[in-house]
Amino acid sequence: MKGDYLIEVKDLKKHYNGGAIKALNGITTGIKKGEVVVVIGPSGSGKSTFLRSLNLLEVPTSGSITFEGKEITNPKTNINLHRQKMGMVFQHFNLFPHMTVLKNMTLAPIKLLKKTQEEAEKDAIELLNTVGLADRKDAYPSQLSGGQKQRIAIVRALCMKPDVMLFDEPTSALDPEMVGEVLDVMKKLAKEGMTMVVVTHEMGFAKEVANRILFIDDGVIMEEGTPEEIFGNPQNERTKAFLSKVL
Amino acid sequence: MEWLNKWFARLYRTFIVSDRYKTIIDGLEKTIIITIGALAIGVIIGTIVAMIKVFADGNKKLKPLDVLCNIYLTVIRGTPVVVQLLISFFIIFVSAKDGTWVATLTFGINSGAYVAETIRSGIMAIDAGQMEAGRSLGFSRLQTMKEIILPQAFKNVLPAIGNEMIALLKETSVAGYVAVTDLTKAANQIKNTTYDQVNPILLTALIYLAIVMLLTKLLGVMERRLRKSER
Repeated sequence: MKGDYLIEVKDLKKHYNGGAIKALNGITTGIKKGEVVVVIGPSGSGKSTFLRSLNLLEVPTSGSITFEGKEITNPKTNINLHRQKMGMVFQHFNLFPHMTVLKNMTLAPIKLLKKTQEEAEKDAIELLNTVGLADRKDAYPSQLSGGQKQRIAIVRALCMKPDVMLFDEPTSALDPEMVGEVLDVMKKLAKEGMTMVVVTHEMGFAKEVANRILFIDDGVIMEEGTPEEIFGNPQNERTKAFLSKVL
Repeated sequence: MEWLNKWFARLYRTFIVSDRYKTIIDGLEKTIIITIGALAIGVIIGTIVAMIKVFADGNKKLKPLDVLCNIYLTVIRGTPVVVQLLISFFIIFVSAKDGTWVATLTFGINSGAYVAETIRSGIMAIDAGQMEAGRSLGFSRLQTMKEIILPQAFKNVLPAIGNEMIALLKETSVAGYVAVTDLTKAANQIKNTTYDQVNPILLTALIYLAIVMLLTKLLGVMERRLRKSER
């Protein structure tokens, strides 16, 4: 089984204030190549902390994360190198406001992958075409709608040709009418075989796209299974209570 | 009309005879050199100090540097610039022949302390998500700072840096304390040789005022242009 996992998480803990607050309290799981894992749970449950730990935006207190066979929680590992292979999409987009869409997308490939500007722009425009925003390449982020911003944020991450994409509540800051366009891009990505870890409140998306669902509460995985198992026949009382509120 | 003729004659004697206006021009040149040089030094020092202070937050290795920066900020902001000039000129660079670069360096070091806090506030005002986005793409902290945070921070603090330049321009008028013939000193010299107590001083004031007004105007234009790029 060991070699199967793209990301392997062992007994991950994240404590604040010297252990007074336990955001993550021992999470062990694995994410296989090509798998779409959706993480659900109440707010404050630790699901975002879990996701942000995967690329060490949150440095865990203890436990280990292995990505592509390399233990990235080891302080000696150059995390910057591994982050290039882990795309991330944020709730608030975090586009660079002082750069055009194209510059947003080509900055990292040019500086980090040492691509030429022509190469990087060609790749970027190709990706922009897939999300239908090629005509906005010279726009600044402030000229875009929320849905457009998030689609740009997704393709910006894809420009680095990542092996896994992490989504941190990608539709939570969007107006309702824009949620669909972002989810469509994500569905397409999943269909193409991208490994994805998605923290979301979009249960419809979870049902439709997820291979596996993790229900996190109190910093631990309370229950996990296929969408059918979790939504159709939840075992844990907490899961039942949570689902009855959101469905 | 009598008084006007008299005034022109006076101006002629004060500024034109023995080419004394050249002293003013030379002085103005020194003032401008010192101001621009000091601002450049100030921005460089200020950026470095600001970055050290931001990075030292949560990095124990940088603690000694952080302490050093704090000492720098305290000493520079705690002593008058004239005293700093005297220290530079009469204690540190005793053998310096030309006071201009000593003055430039001193004003630069002085300005750096104020610019540092300005730039630091500019950095702190940038949303933390920008650093996270940069890091998530694989940039190091320093790279993210350079490519993503600083360009935005500079844009935000540009008006404050412009004000610093205006303040600096006026502050350099004390450079005369250390044998630098800047604009103010030049006017003072003409006053002493011609016994004209009025015109050299007024002319100096007018020149400072004109430059400050010009700078203010330029700053406004630059600001508007920078804003436009985001719309």
